[in-house]
Amino acid sequence: MDNKLIKIYHGPQHPGITGNMSVELDLLGETIKRARTHVGYLHRGFEKLIERRTVIQAFTIVCRLCVPEPDPNEENFARAVEGLVGLEISDRAKYIRVMVQEMSRIAAQMLWMGGQSGSIGMGTVGQWSLYDRDLILDLFEELTGGRVYHMYTYPGGVRRDLPDGFLGRLSELLDYFDKKLPKYDSIFFDNATFKQRAMGVGVICKDEALQNGYVGQALRGCGIKRDVRRDNPYLVYDKLEFEIPTYDGCDVYSRAMVRRAEIKESIKILRQVIEQMPAEGLIMQKIPKHRKFKLPKDDIYVASESARGEFGYYMAGDGSEKIRRMQVKGPSLIHGYTLLENLLVDEELSNVALIMNSLGICPPEIER
Amino acid sequence: MDMIKERYEVGEKSKRLFEIDIAKDSLIDTISFLMSHTDFITLSMIACADWIEDEIFVLNYVFTTSNRDKNLMLKVSISRDGEVVPTVSISSPQAEVMERDLHEMYGIVFDGNDTLYDFALEGWEGMPPLRRDFDTLEYVNENFDFKGGRDDNKDVKAEVKRRKAEAKKLKALKTEANETEANEAKEAEEVKNNG
Repeated sequence: MDNKLIKIYHGPQHPGITGNMSVELDLLGETIKRARTHVGYLHRGFEKLIERRTVIQAFTIVCRLCVPEPDPNEENFARAVEGLVGLEISDRAKYIRVMVQEMSRIAAQMLWMGGQSGSIGMGTVGQWSLYDRDLILDLFEELTGGRVYHMYTYPGGVRRDLPDGFLGRLSELLDYFDKKLPKYDSIFFDNATFKQRAMGVGVICKDEALQNGYVGQALRGCGIKRDVRRDNPYLVYDKLEFEIPTYDGCDVYSRAMVRRAEIKESIKILRQVIEQMPAEGLIMQKIPKHRKFKLPKDDIYVASESARGEFGYYMAGDGSEKIRRMQVKGPSLIHGYTLLENLLVDEELSNVALIMNSLGICPPEIER
Repeated sequence: MDMIKERYEVGEKSKRLFEIDIAKDSLIDTISFLMSHTDFITLSMIACADWIEDEIFVLNYVFTTSNRDKNLMLKVSISRDGEVVPTVSISSPQAEVMERDLHEMYGIVFDGNDTLYDFALEGWEGMPPLRRDFDTLEYVNENFDFKGGRDDNKDVKAEVKRRKAEAKKLKALKTEANETEANEAKEAEEVKNNG
């Protein structure tokens, strides 16, 4: 049997990932000797579609780039257009946008928790966390009219003002999360099974993490304190107090603990937003020729911190109403290829889903 | 940043976003300089824009500092017809997949990158789809059939026209009926008065 490799495909349908993606594995017994990522199951040609659309038309499809967290996409799109035309938005709109970003972050971490626990057969955690995610989606529905895709953050501000008593209901939900998080600790984060499965697995080489462009928990789980909200602040993140949690195990467990701490930080940020949000201010700037908005001949790169790491957008205008080019670089492109293909070598087959999930790979944003 | 300004003409797009136009031949030298002498060590993205009217592609290599607080765009213009670009995957391994993506979508060949096989599309033949001269409608007509729809499917425009005409007819009839009624009532009143 020596030196005889077996080739299997992990995916495209697998609970280890959100969406469809497959990893071609060469196995020696149970040990992976070579891994190669394949995408293409979700290619919808967004970047081509956007080239034929005006700003208001493209706005409706950018959120569909990533199902677990559409809001960083809307934010990037809005900020890229605002940067190109030099549009300033009001403080109130900025606070509302931060609120949307942080609510989306908690929802995404809840969805991740379901996937991460499911990848090692802990079904109960997913039942809990998806229920809790739904509570945030209820608020999103009230605010924007949509549960998953919101189409709310628009260049110039946000589409509509907060409903009456919304901040009070958000505050109640945060109190609920505060009480619920210790329960997640006992069922998941402090669970002996999870610790044994996750510690020392999927260890990232710290020295190459920065240069190779790893982002989000992949960096912070190696003890490297990087977060776009703090390093390259946008909206009103520079006025808010929050920690950037780091753990230095470089493994799946460290990345999970970073996410756990980030939920707490998001709650902290949301409480400050509720307290500091100005009562008045323009929700949407007045834009002349709203539907035939012209972008100047220029280009820009913007980035924001999604729940899984830095999300970058390149946008170019050509003086017409259509967007000349918009290119998306989500955290999954580098994590799903450069990082995953390296991390899986010499790992056990049973750890593939565990590692994939800890990197927060979302295939739709790889192939756009 | 000062070191870069000494050597290159740096455009300042915002406080934290810069750009440098460079020639294709000096791409590798510039990147080695950035990575060894400055803090711009991470290649975050390679974005490509097709400026068909100028017959060029502009490749934007977005570099980020180790503190992730500034971004620098290296802009390289290349000809649209098959100009070969050197790969940067030796210094930044993440470039391998970015170049594979651009090769598939624009047909740009990256010299030294031997992984330029299929990325998101499978066995794509013909013009790469993100080039601006790619005719989407023609491709769709050649490769896909339009669904006929249900048996009771109706032409919306014709149906709207028919309904409008029907409504107009109905309205005219109603007006006529009202007028006749009014005339009759008038006549009856006149008869009553005269009688």
